Amino acid sequence: MSPAGREVTITIDGREVPAVEGEMLHDAARKGDVEIPYFCYEPKLGDPVGACRMCLVEIEGIPKLQTSCSTPVREGMVVHTRTEQVKEAQNSVVEFLLVNHPLDCPVCDKGGECPLQDISYGWGPGKSRVIDEKRHFEKPIELSPLVAIDRERCILCYRCVRFSQEVSEDAQLQLIERGDRTYVGTFDDRPYVAPFQGNITDICPVGALTNYTYRFRARPWDIEHAGSVCTICPSQCNVSFTVRDEKVKRVISRDNHEVDDGWLCDRGRYGFEMFDAPERVREPQLKGGAVSWEQALEAVAEGLRRAGGKVAAIAGDASNEEGFLLQRILRDALGSPHIDSRPSRGPKADVLRRLAEPNVSAKVRDIDEADAILVLGTDPLHSSPILDLRVRKAIRRNGAKLVVATERPTALDGGAEAIARYAPGQAAHFVGELASAIGGSDNVATPVAETLRDAGKVVVIWGERIAREDGAAEALLDVAAATNMSTTDGAGLLEIPDTTNARGLREAGCLPDAGPGLSDTTAGKSTEEIREALISGELTTLVLFGADPLRDFPDTPAWEEALTAADFVLTFSMHDNATTAKSDVVLPLETHAEKDGTVTHPDGRLQRVRPSASRPENVVPNILVLSELATKLGLDTGIDSQPTAFQALTNAVTLYNGIEDEQIGGRGLRWQDREGATSARTGTEQPGPGGPPEGGSPDTQRDAPISMVQPDPTPRGVASADPPSGGPSTAANGDLLLGTYRDLWAGPVTELNPPLKFLTPQQRVEISRTDAERLDLKSGDKVRVNGIEAEAHVKERVPAGVVFMAEGVSDGNANALLNGGPVQVKIEKLDEATA
Amino acid sequence: MSFDPKSASYLDSIEVVEVQRGPKPGGVGGAYRAFGETLRGLKTTMARLIEGPMTIEYPEEKTPVYPRFRGRHKLHKFEDTGLEKCVGCSLCAAACPADCIRVVAAENIPGDRVSAGERYAAVYEINLSRCIFCGYCEIACPFDAITMGHDYEMADYDRRDLIFTKEMLLAEPVERTPLKSEGE
Amino acid sequence: MAHRLEKRVLLEHAEDPDLRTLDGYRRLAGGYETLERAYKEMEQDEVLQELEDSGLRGRGGAGFSMGKKASFLPRGDMAKYLCCNADESEPGAFKDRELMQRNPHQLIEGIAIAALAADAGHAFIFIRGEYDEQADILDAAVAEAYEAGYLGTNILGCHRDLELVVHRGAGAYICGEETALLDALEGKRGNPRLKPPFPAVQGLYGGPTLINNVETLSNVPHIVRRGAEWFKGFGTEQSPGTKVVSVSGGVRKPGNYEVELGIPTRELIYDLAGGPEEGHEIKAFFPGGSSSPVLKAEEGLDLPYSFEAMAEAGSMLGSGSIIVCDDRVSIPHLALRTARFYHHESCGKCVPCREGTNWTVKMLERMVRGEATPMDLDIVSSVQQNIIGHCLCVLGDSMAMPVGAMVRKFREEFEEVMANPDLVLDPHAVVQGAPETLGAST
Repeated sequence: MSPAGREVTITIDGREVPAVEGEMLHDAARKGDVEIPYFCYEPKLGDPVGACRMCLVEIEGIPKLQTSCSTPVREGMVVHTRTEQVKEAQNSVVEFLLVNHPLDCPVCDKGGECPLQDISYGWGPGKSRVIDEKRHFEKPIELSPLVAIDRERCILCYRCVRFSQEVSEDAQLQLIERGDRTYVGTFDDRPYVAPFQGNITDICPVGALTNYTYRFRARPWDIEHAGSVCTICPSQCNVSFTVRDEKVKRVISRDNHEVDDGWLCDRGRYGFEMFDAPERVREPQLKGGAVSWEQALEAVAEGLRRAGGKVAAIAGDASNEEGFLLQRILRDALGSPHIDSRPSRGPKADVLRRLAEPNVSAKVRDIDEADAILVLGTDPLHSSPILDLRVRKAIRRNGAKLVVATERPTALDGGAEAIARYAPGQAAHFVGELASAIGGSDNVATPVAETLRDAGKVVVIWGERIAREDGAAEALLDVAAATNMSTTDGAGLLEIPDTTNARGLREAGCLPDAGPGLSDTTAGKSTEEIREALISGELTTLVLFGADPLRDFPDTPAWEEALTAADFVLTFSMHDNATTAKSDVVLPLETHAEKDGTVTHPDGRLQRVRPSASRPENVVPNILVLSELATKLGLDTGIDSQPTAFQALTNAVTLYNGIEDEQIGGRGLRWQDREGATSARTGTEQPGPGGPPEGGSPDTQRDAPISMVQPDPTPRGVASADPPSGGPSTAANGDLLLGTYRDLWAGPVTELNPPLKFLTPQQRVEISRTDAERLDLKSGDKVRVNGIEAEAHVKERVPAGVVFMAEGVSDGNANALLNGGPVQVKIEKLDEATA
Repeated sequence: MSFDPKSASYLDSIEVVEVQRGPKPGGVGGAYRAFGETLRGLKTTMARLIEGPMTIEYPEEKTPVYPRFRGRHKLHKFEDTGLEKCVGCSLCAAACPADCIRVVAAENIPGDRVSAGERYAAVYEINLSRCIFCGYCEIACPFDAITMGHDYEMADYDRRDLIFTKEMLLAEPVERTPLKSEGE
Repeated sequence: MAHRLEKRVLLEHAEDPDLRTLDGYRRLAGGYETLERAYKEMEQDEVLQELEDSGLRGRGGAGFSMGKKASFLPRGDMAKYLCCNADESEPGAFKDRELMQRNPHQLIEGIAIAALAADAGHAFIFIRGEYDEQADILDAAVAEAYEAGYLGTNILGCHRDLELVVHRGAGAYICGEETALLDALEGKRGNPRLKPPFPAVQGLYGGPTLINNVETLSNVPHIVRRGAEWFKGFGTEQSPGTKVVSVSGGVRKPGNYEVELGIPTRELIYDLAGGPEEGHEIKAFFPGGSSSPVLKAEEGLDLPYSFEAMAEAGSMLGSGSIIVCDDRVSIPHLALRTARFYHHESCGKCVPCREGTNWTVKMLERMVRGEATPMDLDIVSSVQQNIIGHCLCVLGDSMAMPVGAMVRKFREEFEEVMANPDLVLDPHAVVQGAPETLGAST
């Protein structure tokens, strides 16, 4: 049943409807504007199950009624959806469904937006013949701390179970018992804990699965839906805020196949309560005390003027417009080129320009159709959760071949054809080897390369952090060239950056060596260099816009020193944190429910964040704050609103030239897809990515001792690499190499958010079985790692010689141990008494 | 001929007719007019005299209303358990054409139940200055938790005082409005 | 000794306990000679043709032509499967049990030959979990067949492989439905699948799969040995062959009787099964297990026992299991017992079956308690109508058809019971007799 079937015409209720051969009759009817009621059908969940029997239709030539959700369209099919026979069937199915449905609509949260209500009114018999006792379950009970289940209301449509089994693939939800005693549950009644569980409340067609965060908060007629974009992570999923009394009460997904496929992770769904956290910065603060905006801006202007050009800025969580304004203030008002938007460092501007070439970049939807997918140096589940589902879908539905090449075991390993594990700090080397292995050489990356070689459409999902290593991005372009990406439609690179709007900020000009549109500019200092310059006194003043170096950037001690050394620190922040505590002036940031602006998805899609909820009284739109500040510093930007800011952005950024707000609309617009899209490299002639690889991995890097590490055998793992004894990982003194990762749940989104608080991760030291045995450790033991105390966690799939620790956790943040190069750590076991 | 009331010629053209009111005074007719007509009028007055006074001395006394009179709303509790009948479903708010009902629901805590169901109305407010007393809320209510009462004394000095809270709506009115009796 | 009305083919030599062993099967029935001939001398198409020509109809309930079903399997070198449905759970049916218990090798030989026709490399016998003894017998027989080289790799040196696995079910009636059987075999929850795709195209593990009943497959060696013409010599034109009929309920000699299809039903019940007990009369009977619409004695007894005659009378031959109800059986109680069985066994996947069986049970319970009104009788009837044809598989219909027929044909009796719930014709028959007969296999 390929979707690319032949165009046919079918007749539904006497009307000719165009359709595609092989598509499901239900879809064809919907496109032809014929409404057929249904409960269980949901193409996103995989093959139809035909369980609800609501979509029965009459097809001429077939004596029995057929379920339209599972009947493929054939040329000349004649279908009736409104005959007596069909009506009878629909009436009877609704009647049957209500035999055991409690009809407690007045207390049910779904009331008013319930498909069962709608269908009962539209297709039901209108009166009840049931006088018998209905089935009873204890209700409501916790399916998880986030989702309540009311089994009496459940109509057993299989949707949640199919989601758990075929989309998120955690297989935790099961149907238990049988007949009308069937209920949805988990093994042994354990809580359903999974990062995508909230989706089951979206797809439940009755009020059986409801969010605790939205329990009894509002009725459909009390609320407004405000479409926007979630900017908690780089996935930038499209969401719809449920707003009551100008406050966000719920976040639901807004299906955009190009971005999120209609799913939403729990971070995006339940993260909204941090908007109202007590830690929220609600007014300008000067030296820790609340002040008026006038006083604050005066102090800021004074502080910046005093710096006399010795000022730097780092943008983190910012919209394109905010980033654009910030770099204008820096470059044009303060005359400083030192601006960056990356946590430490990254590729040079010319490499970034080549990476931004439309012909080597993949869009999210390309994953669906890819022949092979390489996940490189990132775990999508942690860094861009929605892409994890996307990759799983590509494997399950399209038979895509997945290869994983990372430091740390990923959630996708189970579905991979080949897995390679490289040692922390060896990403650039590995990518270089991979490029040559695809080209035919035999090296450590060969098992991975074999799947990619001649695979057709290859999509590489790579983590920004590998590009912190010199030469990694260049090597990645070699991989692109070796897999013929630039000439293959649907193939390309897709970056998972460290921050939400990394791509937008880079393109808006928040880079030390590139201005708006990645244009040439006077070179400034990168984040790491800014830190060193602050310590040395070369720079005196720092502007942090939505960046929290003390939590998110590597080398926390150095940052502490830098912030202390700085004369003046201005921080724009949403919440009070360690960084704001060390800042002279703190200005409040808007949340993504309050902000008006655009962001750019890692695949180049400009999306609009729309103001949906009211701001706290003293929070002012950040664009206005920045333009006001520019005016105070003597720079007239001509920006006084979102439209003028957007206009200024598109005028200045060549890639965005001519994009209109309407073109972005609700679905976003990839600038590469626009007619007459300008390449980032206009004017700077360089060989294309398909040409000779220039600036590949530096030779010094190539000669470095190979420290590939051996993954523990997995069922399908075919990765072969140097034995662990060869690498530096097992140093003679027993020190281990430290690898770090950003945990999905680390950060304010869990810490400041009552419903998600239970997920707040604790630091733990992931260690291989081999090393654990050597150090006499078992899971749960307390250990000290270079001063950080944490719990040891023996993991089967961790390669020997390496330990992994989480970044961004509040207690024992691994960023404190990083210093830009490979870090050896010593693990001491703590006695129960000392711990 | 057209008349323009404003034109001078119109006024000029009116012929003034003197109207004589009643017969000329004096004589038998005059005496009759002085007493006869008055007595005739008094006859009705005297006849009603025995019926007693008809004045309802509001506010000391109140006009009785019909049983289905739609006055100020009342919220109800179950008589046996004392739990509120309202579960905070907001259907009344949805039905209200004047949009004067605001409901914020909350979940019952076992041990400290407010209503019989899972949820209850944490906030239930009716803005009586906007209410049009149509009774749709009563019709919409699936639990007969809200009914239109007989109270009609709602005047106040401040508009804000006309927003009735749940406690006010649950409380019995201080004085009962009398009902009209059968057949009245 | 076989009765003169019996025509034993499958049950030949059934009394001899030696038949269970390989030696006995070889000695008594010329066992595995047909397999040798088929493997050594016949092509796949020849075997298939023979089966198609024979007109053998599936003995599991649906009565679909077995040869035609096998011919639907696509050709090609993908993995193909053959499943023997031995999950005989229908109340009233116990013929497969007898066939497997007395002559397991006949089934194994049939499977091996059918696998040749279907070009299947793997075969499974999905046997009902409660048939423990029969599964042990099959296990032993399969081991013998492997040892003798009739199963395994390179069978009889003909470069053909066949792996046969006896899989015990976990006691769900629904797993007798072919697609639920496949799910259960794959290790999933035994729920029916959507059709199409039919198992012949996409069945076990996504491969083409031929699923047949024990009795159907047991017929295969006989057809291949003696030819389609011989087989068609028995029975009627549309229902050729012999049939093992399980007769139970209110008869003096309940049991399995192998007869030619088309034999008068009266002879089956009265002559072979001995008729009703002294002083009683037959009131009604199920001609094809508890899922077939019940026939009143006067409308059904004089019909020939064949697929087509039963279908014409508005019932069905099904698996060929006659349940006889004598005049002591209270039909409303029988309807309740039947409905309870299907309610208990409904898998819960599709709505009409899940809720319809549940609702029907509740209404019938009210009726026998005397808490129903005549209107409820109409509701029961209409609910049965609403179930039929709207379900994912046939389980819902299996309750709706007999219960619907009972309400339609014995309405007065229902009304009587509703009016006088205490006046059950013979409580013993209701509590002990009928439910025992019907519910034995829950």
